[in-house]
Amino acid sequence: MNAVVRMAVLDLRTVAPYRYQGLVVFGVVVALLAHNRPVVVVPALVLLVTSQVAAYPFVVADKAGLETLYAVLPLPRRAVLLGHYAWAVAAFVATATVGTTLALLLAWGESVPFGGRTLVTVLTLSWAMFVVTVAIQFPLFVRFGYSRISVLCTFLPLAVIMLAVTRLHLTIATFASIQAWLPVLWVAGAAAIVGSAAVAMAADHRRAG
Amino acid sequence: MSSDLAFALRGVGTAVSSSFGLHEVSFDLPTGYVMGLIGANGAGKTTIIRCLLGMRPIDTGEIELLGHRAPGPVALRQDIGVVLDHTYLVGDWRLTEVERTLRPFYDRWDGVRYRGLLAEFGLDPRAKVKDLSRGMAMKLMIAVALSHQARLLVLDEPTSGLDPVTRDELVGIIGDFLLDEGHSVLFSTHITTDLDRIGDYVTLVHGGRVVRTGTKDDVLAAYRVVRGGPDDLSDLVGVQLIGLRQTATGAQALVRADEAGLLGGRVLVEAPTLEEIAVHTGARVPASAGGAR
Repeated sequence: MNAVVRMAVLDLRTVAPYRYQGLVVFGVVVALLAHNRPVVVVPALVLLVTSQVAAYPFVVADKAGLETLYAVLPLPRRAVLLGHYAWAVAAFVATATVGTTLALLLAWGESVPFGGRTLVTVLTLSWAMFVVTVAIQFPLFVRFGYSRISVLCTFLPLAVIMLAVTRLHLTIATFASIQAWLPVLWVAGAAAIVGSAAVAMAADHRRAG
Repeated sequence: MSSDLAFALRGVGTAVSSSFGLHEVSFDLPTGYVMGLIGANGAGKTTIIRCLLGMRPIDTGEIELLGHRAPGPVALRQDIGVVLDHTYLVGDWRLTEVERTLRPFYDRWDGVRYRGLLAEFGLDPRAKVKDLSRGMAMKLMIAVALSHQARLLVLDEPTSGLDPVTRDELVGIIGDFLLDEGHSVLFSTHITTDLDRIGDYVTLVHGGRVVRTGTKDDVLAAYRVVRGGPDDLSDLVGVQLIGLRQTATGAQALVRADEAGLLGGRVLVEAPTLEEIAVHTGARVPASAGGAR
C-alpha cells in the first residue's frame, strides 16, 4: 500500500471511534435541510460535515499526541501531510456520494425536480466550498497546531465563502448560467488543493526548523 | 559508520531555548547492550532522545543510528521501538485497533507476538488506550515496540511514576528483549535503581552536557563518595568536591577516584552508588568544571 494511502487510512482510523457523533450531525443536517430544499442537502453536508470530518484528524492528533506517532512510524513526513489531504478528498467524495443519493431520494419522494444540470451545479458548488475550507485550514493546522488556531480556522473559510456569495451575488441559478465554467472550477479546485498541500509542506518545514 | 554501534552522538548541539540547549554531547552504545541515560528533570535527556530519533534537528555534530548517519532512511524506523513517558495513540482505540492501525506500517509486524505480549502483560485486547493505567500503557507501548521486531529500543522515562512492582516488571521485560544479542536499549531515567539490574553503560547528563559516560562499572569506579563532620570537607587541598552537601550534622560530596588518596583519615571514603553519583553530579556544576568532571 502506498505511504500516502496508508496515512489516509490512519486518518480514517483516527476518526473512526467518533463515527457515531459524525452520524448524528449528518442526520441532523439532513433532517433540518432536506424537507423543503433537497437541492441544498449536498452543499450543506459538505460545508458542515466534511469540513469537520476532514479536519478531525488534526483535532485528535493534538489531543492524543499523534505527531509523535507520525514521527515514530516508518512514514515520510511528506506522506503524512499528503495523507491528510487524501483523507479530506476521500471524505468529500463519500459525503457527496451519500448526500447526492439522499437528495435524489428526497427530491423523488417530494416530486421536486432535481438532477442533470442542477445536480452538477450543486456538486460543483459543494466542491468549491470544500476546497476553500480545506485549502485555508490545513496549512494553518500544520503550521500552528489545531488547538492554537481552531477558532480562526473554523470561521475564516466560512467568511471567505460568505464574502464570495454576497460580493458575487451567487445563487444556484447563477451557477446554472455558467455551466461552461463548471469544469474549470473543478480543475481550479484541484489546483488549489495541490497548492495548499505545497504551502502546508513549506509551513511544516518552517515549523520543524 | 560503524556497524558495531547501536548509535553514536558526536559533538551534538542544539538550542532548545535562549537558556537551554545541548552542548557537545558525545556518547555511544555498542550493539547488544543497555545504556542508562541519567539526569535530573530538565537535564536534557528527552532532548537527546528527540535528536537521536530525528524528531529535533541538531545545530552541530552528527548522529549515527544503526549504521546510518541520522536521520537516515525512513525505513530505519522499522528497527526502532520508541516508548515515551506518555502514550501517543488515540485514547479511544481499543488494543485490537492499535494493532489493526499500526500493522500496515511495519514490514515485520508479528500479530501473534503482539497478542501474546498483551496476554503476557495482562492487557485486555478489548480495553481502550485511555482506560489503561500508566503502567499498563507503558506495557502496551513496549508490546508495540517488540511486535515490529525492533533492534533498538528507546525508552524515555518509562518507569517514572510507576509503583515498584510494575517498575520491576518493566525492567524484566527489557531484560528479556536483550536475550537477542542484536538488540540494544537506550533507557532514560532519573530512577537509577532501574539500571542496577540491566544497565551495562551509563551516561550522566546535566544542564545539556554529558557529565560522564562509560560502562556502569567504569562510571562507578571513577568516583568516591566522601563523608565527614560539618567542617571536615571545607579545608581539603588538591581535591575537587563535586556537589558538596552540608548539614548541621555532617557533610558529603563526591570526589574523583584518583583524588581520593589525597583525603585525610578523618573522612569516610566509600564506593558510590549510581544514585549518589547522579545526585552529586546533578546538584551543582562548578564554574571550572567544564564538560566532563
